[in-house]
Amino acid sequence: MARMSEAPKPDPGTVERFRALMLPHLDAAYGFARWLTRDPVTAQDLAQEAMLRALRYFHAFRGEEAKPWLLRIVRNTWIDQRAKHGGEQPLEVVENQPSEGPDPEQSAQAGDRRRQVAKALAALPAEMREILVLREIQDLPYKQIAAVLDLPVGTVMSRLARARGRMAADLRGRLGRREHGLPDL
Amino acid sequence: MDCPTCEAMVDAYVDGELTATESADFERSIAVCPECRKRLDSARAIGGLLRDLPAEPAPDLLRARVERELRGIAGRHSGARRGERMRWMAYAASLIAAVGIGWAGGTLTGRGSGDSDAIVASYLRMAMAEHTVDVASSDRHTVKPWYAGRIDYAPAVYDLTANGFPLLGGRLDVIDGRKVAVLVYRRNQHKLAVSLWPATGADAPARVSQRDGFTVGEWRHRGFDWRAVSDVSPSEMTAFATALDRAVDSDR
Repeated sequence: MARMSEAPKPDPGTVERFRALMLPHLDAAYGFARWLTRDPVTAQDLAQEAMLRALRYFHAFRGEEAKPWLLRIVRNTWIDQRAKHGGEQPLEVVENQPSEGPDPEQSAQAGDRRRQVAKALAALPAEMREILVLREIQDLPYKQIAAVLDLPVGTVMSRLARARGRMAADLRGRLGRREHGLPDL
Repeated sequence: MDCPTCEAMVDAYVDGELTATESADFERSIAVCPECRKRLDSARAIGGLLRDLPAEPAPDLLRARVERELRGIAGRHSGARRGERMRWMAYAASLIAAVGIGWAGGTLTGRGSGDSDAIVASYLRMAMAEHTVDVASSDRHTVKPWYAGRIDYAPAVYDLTANGFPLLGGRLDVIDGRKVAVLVYRRNQHKLAVSLWPATGADAPARVSQRDGFTVGEWRHRGFDWRAVSDVSPSEMTAFATALDRAVDSDR
């Protein structure tokens, strides 16, 4: 935090620029926070804190892609919060969160499949979870994932391969063949 | 291409990260490599399942909290303008439509400045608890007496079901240390919160404005200041104010 206080105080013009460039990515920031924290309420706190931190750092934004720039701050904020609160929230707690409203698809089977996929994703180690979310849910290309995670592109690729393998194994255990659509081993 | 090479390319291929030449090479080799074919199908299936998860956009409450922070930071330079502040408050209040806007009204009337930020912060924390009404009833004879002993005035409470605004109930809010009555109505799928407190002076017709996509109504009628926020249309807000005023009038 001490580092940040050295940053120039954002003036109204800076705030307006920030609003125009970064606020459109609030959904992405929340969505990423949602999977990092695995809790909708904690995710809101994290996303809010990250937005404020992003504003403080905004003088250092050099016109690169806004979304990965913001998501990187979300992730760093999460790492700091985790360190402060002594590690991740245990999954037993988050697994019992009530679901967020009705599933848009009426089919109960599809709803159940989605719940199982969400549980499998939530149960992955953070390192695998974050990279799958960035690729499959946030739809970022490798180069941007590398920027968010501060990794070489080659590592992004190998980590993604491992995460997919693990996710496939988990889903085979949770879902029937017809639901997961994965090839037999 | 040998299998380890094609294995290493599966993910990059699925993710569209290969050049056209690399893709063509990969497609040729995978045709003769059943193991890598399985990896490819598996990676695609995982992608399909994850992309099928329902999108979770940022909750309105989070957006309101961030907006508030940004306004606060911008305002520290320009001096907080009441309009800006009101706009945010209307926004936040209506997002959490079921809960009241008592504090917004307090600021509007300038009845003591108070620490609005602190009030708003505590309000948002409370709103996160999804606390909607303290007394849930469409019966004014249940809602009105509920306020007795809880606030220092008797609010005018009317069910407007006949006008298309059924009463859902009432709740309390604290403005500048004073408790205020907030009534919550429903309009189709929308909720409308109206706060009221005793006022002196001539009646003032409803002024309806739109802020950040939400509709705010402000008026004075028969000794009460009324402040309503909702995501209904301005004409519906006007209809609400008219219906409410008529209900008050017919009761006199």
